[in-house]
Amino acid sequence: MSEAPTTREDLGEVNRLGQIVDREALGEVCRSFFDLFGLPIRVIAGDGGMLADAHVEREICGYVNGTNGGRLACAQTVGAVRKLLPTEDEGTLHACFTGAVYRVVPIRYQGRLLGRFVVGPYLPAETREVPRSLLVVDQGIDSDRAREALEEMPRVRIETAERIAAHLRGMLDLILFSGHKAHLTSEMHLLSVRESYRELAEKNSELQRAYDRLRELDRLKSNFLATISHELRTPLTSILGYSEMLTSGLAGELAPEQLEFVGTIHSKGELLLRLISSLLDLGKLEQGHLALQLESLDPMALLKDLRETVVPQAARKEIRISITQPVGALPPFRADPLRLRQVLGNLLDNALKFTPQGGSIALGVRATTLDDGAPDDAHGLVLLALPRGALEFSVADTGIGIPMREHEKIFDAFYQVDGSSTREHGGTGLGLSIVKRLVDAHGGQIRMESKPGEGTTFYVTIPEAE
Amino acid sequence: MQLDFQTREITVKLVYYGPALSGKTTNLQAIHHLASAESRGRLMTLETRDDRTLFFDLLPLTFKQGSLNVRLKLFTVPGQVMHAATRRLVLQGADGVAFIADSQRAETRANAVAFADLRKNLADNNLDLSTMPLVIQFNKRDLPDVRTDAELDQMALLGKEPVFKAIATRGAGVAETFLGLFDLIWTKLEREHGFAAKFGLDGVAMRAEIAKQLGVGASTGSTPPEARR
Repeated sequence: MSEAPTTREDLGEVNRLGQIVDREALGEVCRSFFDLFGLPIRVIAGDGGMLADAHVEREICGYVNGTNGGRLACAQTVGAVRKLLPTEDEGTLHACFTGAVYRVVPIRYQGRLLGRFVVGPYLPAETREVPRSLLVVDQGIDSDRAREALEEMPRVRIETAERIAAHLRGMLDLILFSGHKAHLTSEMHLLSVRESYRELAEKNSELQRAYDRLRELDRLKSNFLATISHELRTPLTSILGYSEMLTSGLAGELAPEQLEFVGTIHSKGELLLRLISSLLDLGKLEQGHLALQLESLDPMALLKDLRETVVPQAARKEIRISITQPVGALPPFRADPLRLRQVLGNLLDNALKFTPQGGSIALGVRATTLDDGAPDDAHGLVLLALPRGALEFSVADTGIGIPMREHEKIFDAFYQVDGSSTREHGGTGLGLSIVKRLVDAHGGQIRMESKPGEGTTFYVTIPEAE
Repeated sequence: MQLDFQTREITVKLVYYGPALSGKTTNLQAIHHLASAESRGRLMTLETRDDRTLFFDLLPLTFKQGSLNVRLKLFTVPGQVMHAATRRLVLQGADGVAFIADSQRAETRANAVAFADLRKNLADNNLDLSTMPLVIQFNKRDLPDVRTDAELDQMALLGKEPVFKAIATRGAGVAETFLGLFDLIWTKLEREHGFAAKFGLDGVAMRAEIAKQLGVGASTGSTPPEARR
């Protein structure tokens, strides 16, 4: 593993109350306790901060706070209660000078002291008299007035107060447990997601490395192809040259049979040269080294010329080649004549190859437009460039057709629809991939429509030069 | 192990590891059942049926030793193969591992696979199996077609770790396994941190206290750590 996960030794640890309880919800619980039992409840965190406070100011408190001595004594009492750290589970009682008491109970969770809650002040039910400590706290305290104010203070029996505190403790424990569980669940969720992300990121980088390596291999293959094709061509040119010289009698007259043999050597050599040239083309195209020589040209003349070159082959298979007249005038047009000829010638060769005896081939050209992938519903059309004028050439045959599932692959290099060694039609599988790349180099598009058994039409769209 | 000088508190993490359905959770449930109310916390089971990446149990135990609070946190990991991320996360910072194996013969391979997984996940957490306190428990001794006692005893002699036999559903052997692991952990922590000297902490007394809280005599545990060395 490239990177150790973040160390979290404190998984499942709770150090603070605020970590696992919702302050507001805790406040509501305390408020409902207060409403139910009439006893003030306060929850104090481990650091002394007040987490929840449910109380109303009692009359007696207001009364004593109205005197200087009372205010001082009250502040001292409250301060002492807030600082109290009880050790026993049932808590500690702290007496107020008014005779009321506070019960301070520790909040423990998983053996750890996280805070405390305070119940009170309340008067123990047994209290009858106004305590002396209240009367002497300030000279201004009137005993009748104090008695009256004390009357309104809640009175609770010791045992009842203990039971209420125990109940609250149990409830808080449950709340802490639920909060802790939810907290831990979300913590684990986050950690798991992070862990999964880390795993995925690792796998992604492995994939990226593999992909980079494959691309490098592909580049090496293309290089190799280009180099070897070039190297093959040199000796082959000599073979062709010498066989030509033999044929022309430069080395003396040849007997008819010798002449025929040398002719075969020459024609097979030519075939080999064409094959090697296409490999070389492919290599150049893959490396993007092909430079186009754009010239104005006449599309109809190009088609007629193409037809002329294949007339003998077509005649042998009794295939009729027609040229469909375009409707209206064609716009002026620029392309690399050699390359365009190669594209259409290749398509025409294929058509001848795959069209059975007595079939027909139709060549055509028409003016059209080429857009750069405009969406069908015309939304966002304004963001795209205007469609460009273009010429669409078509080569339609009545051949064997191409099965649907092959449509996407036929433009891959070396791909053959029938790849078996016993296949009926020869070829290297380079033709269409070169065609596709030449069309791409022109900024054009190639597509086809085909139905097995009925025929295939290839459409080549070449845009106007910019 | 976490040490808090301020609150005088030691927190130790024990992880129950093993193949799926070998009885890790049952071990924790049995300990929870055995432990006295004052020492045990609630057993928390984190199971989310919809999202199966999370699935573990947590049982906190607290023991008082003098003024020192010793907190033991017992975790189980999800045994299912797909929960690798959770296992790795739970293992982080573990002080010791109890490997709960299934005694049934048919589960031998699953045990071995889970152990290899433990080794790998420890390594991924920069923990070393050779220095990690580890005990092995062969659970489900009451089922038919289990590996025999003789077989296990013989294998235990060859291996390095203490081996315990258990029937966790009846609570048998559970406390022994736990105490056995605790002994190993304590021996290691004592060696590394010298608690006896620093805190005046008596390991033997504490072990006796834990055994008492679990309701077993101190002698029923495994070999005391002193004897093992």
